[in-house]
Amino acid sequence: MARQMIRDVIRDTIDAEMARDENVIMLGEDIVGGMGSPGGPEAIGGIWGTSGGLWAQYGSDRVIDTPISESAIIGAAAGASLTGKRAIAEIMFADFIGVCMDQIWNQVAKFRYMFGGKSKCPIVIRMPYGAGYNAAPQHSQSIHAMVTAMPGLKVVMPTTAADVKGLLTTAIRDDDPVIFLEHKALYGVKGEVPDGEYLIPFGHARQVTQGDDVTILATGMMVGFAEKAAAQLAQDGIGCDLLDLRTTSPLDEEAIMDSVERTGRLLIVDEAPPRCSFATDLSALVANKAFASLKAPIEMVTGPHSPVPFARELESAYVPSPDKIVAAAVKAMSYRRG
Amino acid sequence: MQHSREALIQAYRQMKTIRVFEERLHDEIALGEIAGFTHLYAGQEACAVGVCEHLGPKDYIISTHRGHGHCIAKGCDVVGMMKEIYGSSDGLCKGKSGSMHIADINKGMLGANGIVGAGAPIAVGAGITAKSNGTVSIAFSGDGACNQGTTFEAMNMAVVLKLPVIFVFENNHYSEHTGESYAVGAESMTVRSAAFGMKAIKANGIDFFSVYDAMRELIEYCKAGNGPASIELDTERFYGHFEGDPQRYRGKGELDRLREERDCLKVFRTKVTEAKLLEGADIDAIDAEVEALIDRAVAESKAAPRPTADHVLEDVYISY
Amino acid sequence: MANLRAFAMPKWGIEMTEGVVAEWMVKEGVPFKKGDILALIETDKITNEVEAEADGMFPKLVAETGGTYQVGELIAVLTGADEKPSADEVSAFVSGFKPADTAVASKAGGSPPPPPAAAPKVEAAPEPVKTVSIAADANISPAARALAEEKGVDIAGITGSGDGGRITFQDVLQASLPATTVGGSPVEIAPIGETLGEVFASPLAKRLAVQHGVALSSLTGTGPKGRICKADVLAKVKPEPVAAATPSAPAASTAAAAPMAFARPAPGTAEIVKMSSMRKAIAKALSHSKSTIPHFYLRSKVRIDAILGLRAQAKAATGEAPSINDYIVRACGLALARHPDVNVQVHGDEIHRFGSADISVAVATDKGLITPIVKGADTLSVAAISREVKALAEKARTGKLQPEEFQGGSFSISNLGMFGIDQFDAIINPPQGAILAVGAGSRQPIEIGNALAFATIVEISLSCDHRAIDGAVGAEFMRTLKGLIEEPKLLVG
Repeated sequence: MARQMIRDVIRDTIDAEMARDENVIMLGEDIVGGMGSPGGPEAIGGIWGTSGGLWAQYGSDRVIDTPISESAIIGAAAGASLTGKRAIAEIMFADFIGVCMDQIWNQVAKFRYMFGGKSKCPIVIRMPYGAGYNAAPQHSQSIHAMVTAMPGLKVVMPTTAADVKGLLTTAIRDDDPVIFLEHKALYGVKGEVPDGEYLIPFGHARQVTQGDDVTILATGMMVGFAEKAAAQLAQDGIGCDLLDLRTTSPLDEEAIMDSVERTGRLLIVDEAPPRCSFATDLSALVANKAFASLKAPIEMVTGPHSPVPFARELESAYVPSPDKIVAAAVKAMSYRRG
Repeated sequence: MQHSREALIQAYRQMKTIRVFEERLHDEIALGEIAGFTHLYAGQEACAVGVCEHLGPKDYIISTHRGHGHCIAKGCDVVGMMKEIYGSSDGLCKGKSGSMHIADINKGMLGANGIVGAGAPIAVGAGITAKSNGTVSIAFSGDGACNQGTTFEAMNMAVVLKLPVIFVFENNHYSEHTGESYAVGAESMTVRSAAFGMKAIKANGIDFFSVYDAMRELIEYCKAGNGPASIELDTERFYGHFEGDPQRYRGKGELDRLREERDCLKVFRTKVTEAKLLEGADIDAIDAEVEALIDRAVAESKAAPRPTADHVLEDVYISY
Repeated sequence: MANLRAFAMPKWGIEMTEGVVAEWMVKEGVPFKKGDILALIETDKITNEVEAEADGMFPKLVAETGGTYQVGELIAVLTGADEKPSADEVSAFVSGFKPADTAVASKAGGSPPPPPAAAPKVEAAPEPVKTVSIAADANISPAARALAEEKGVDIAGITGSGDGGRITFQDVLQASLPATTVGGSPVEIAPIGETLGEVFASPLAKRLAVQHGVALSSLTGTGPKGRICKADVLAKVKPEPVAAATPSAPAASTAAAAPMAFARPAPGTAEIVKMSSMRKAIAKALSHSKSTIPHFYLRSKVRIDAILGLRAQAKAATGEAPSINDYIVRACGLALARHPDVNVQVHGDEIHRFGSADISVAVATDKGLITPIVKGADTLSVAAISREVKALAEKARTGKLQPEEFQGGSFSISNLGMFGIDQFDAIINPPQGAILAVGAGSRQPIEIGNALAFATIVEISLSCDHRAIDGAVGAEFMRTLKGLIEEPKLLVG
């Protein structure tokens, strides 16, 4: 067991998989850095520090620094993966998905289906996402709802260092296309990481706290906030069942239903804006299948229907916080049946 | 350039197969048998065959929405293709793709693509694999896709990464309903490709031999590790952008003139018979074989099994 | 300036709207002492002596002897014992006095309507005490408006949760209900059995594994994607000897209850079992019931020989027969119809009297006690009751009961007869007003005529909420009930 920062876990996991399988390759902007510059290669090793040292080990044929061409990056990773490679493509900010959307949505997601099950595209598309760095509207978004909605893709959103290792390993070895979303505010977070080979299957939520009063569902950075809220609520006698969903597609529906049927109250924490979001997707699922168990309306703590603003105070107001989560839980607990 | 008799017969057979396949489809579509959008390749046969006759199963091609020709030229099963276009569960893609996404990955045909320009980046990816295999990757594009940002990105990336990718631009002079002279701002596609930093040439897309010879040169160039190349092929399509296109952009009598003066099959026949490489009878025999093959393909497709509703969810994932 | 206060017609009890000043016991202008009787006031129920709460003096007695005055109407002007107000001050006070709006209001809102000619009858449900007036252009949905008017909810205090602050039905509903307290003493939330690198098992499987002491890592998953599921865990659980089946609260089942098999803790140790939500709910409800409701118990011995005879007839005719409890449910239904004062729910200072007998029948399930309701037991035949009870019990055991099938009801029946219990007293299920506890039938010697004979006797005990049901009322109900049980031909009809 080691204690590592998430950015280093990502790097080490990719390293281990590249060592294990020579077909694993990496593409992205500045994943090496310094190509064609006086400072020379490896000037950065990824702007988030998630690919340092890999070029030196595996060379230009396998660690491919690209021009700024998101469509070409994803397309190339897709074409390589269709023809025998296992490509890990990095999109520097999840917000840039707009630039390469066709390659993800109409190409990668649909290859296997369109080609009658006769192809496989074992691509992993890694994207840093989320607010918290005052990076302003075009560099702070959460895009998981959009990719979760695309049949053919799997979507992973890890929270802890251990989960990053387990889920990224599974993602790289998975023969289906995987969107691997890394919350940028979690890169520096340290956690215990198991040694050796470690795989976490998709569609399996992590139980963070166990309680009988309110079910809380969260992903990414929201899990830590929900955990703080759950601790405070526990002090006040309200026990929360907090699930870190880990993968939005496939979804651990069983754990969600099991929890809601016991507590009767659901609170979803989602960093994205509220319309047609992951939060509303979960709400509809539970409202349809667990209506009889619900003791209170489903609460959602989300960002507002706005882009992510720049100024510190504004971004803080935008992002769900432990206080907002506590208030929503209390609101659910206070609901009275007429 | 020396071509063996077998090679010439093979080349003609491929081109004729494409021609008859497309013409027959044109008739069947008019009968209402075939669903969806179909884009016919008739007229451009020399391009597909002139390129693909050089290729083996580990060479990769990716096509456009006008993909039947490339698919046949790459050696995909013709009957399976026809069944796919008819939507049978026995089709090449189990009825999931139809005309627009027709593919056979095992034969190195990475699919026709419904998104204009989407193929080029994927071909670059196949070029990464080709580089490690010692083979090449071909991105077919039209004079429409040549203006798409994805095409530019792909070309630049192929140059930067020095990949064995050949960008084949089949210039049939119309991108959908717009003439190429309007839509391509540069002096020519070839000039533009060269500006990206790659070897860029032109060939006569109506003449199989012109295409074949030019491609030999480029494939050697790429396999030698020189990076990507591009070729512009001057060709014609005999039908509309899609079946059902009223083709109001055509000049008066243009289509008849094309059939008369710009038919690559006629050009081939003339050339090989004049050079006494093949007899007229040889070609007639191939014609008859191909007609019979396409008849069989259509008959089998009409009788082939239909997919059922429980097939809808099949192959979304390998495992979920 | 003298300190003048109003002495108004007092309100004794919910229904009082007016009283008669039968006699003034003190004189105008004469000081009185704390404890002195000031007046005799009559209502249609009683005559009450009004006592002075402090020393004082009435400078003016407004009410006339024998006069009828509305509750809240000024009947005298009051001041301190040493005060000497002027006549002008007093008359100014009298003319300036406005009675408080304690009159019974109609739904029209606005100024209080004229008082009713007589006090309303006891049987009628209390009218809403507030009127609300909602502006026509208020940002409120139609359904919410109707609910606010019906319940007399002041919408000024509501922050609408709808679009643009629109007040929704839900907002009004919440505002209309008494607030709940949320939370309590701290709870433990560390997840059970979760460790880093945890095993891929369903949440239920994990809980069962902890409960039964099965090591998850020893199992192979047969669930989707190789997940360890409930069946995998239970396959490893060694069957335990069946523990005694009696649950702690008085429970009953209409068919044999499945006993709960608990693994036995090691000697000298105690296994700590966290209460399930259901058990916590039972604990909370019954503690509240026992500590706040003034229970009293009426016991009676009833002969069930006639019922046994009817059962035997039914069995001979059709091969099946209703249970004894089904007959008792029917008897209670009819008795409740005849004694509506026992067919009640108690809510604070309100008694809700019901038009039909909805009887809760206790069913034991492996999750605990559930009480599905037989609705309209006064209108169903015994056979229909029998079918309904079976259906509800099955739903209860398979967890398929809908809320309206077990929430509500005005009366409960709890039967421990099949466990051999002679007699017991049950705890009332609030907000119901009463619960009948039924014991086992036993052959006992009785006197018939002047001779000794045997009869099958069942001891029944009615627990009553004395806030709503008096001893005599309950006793009369029991008499009717006994009569119906002992003459079950009266049950068919």
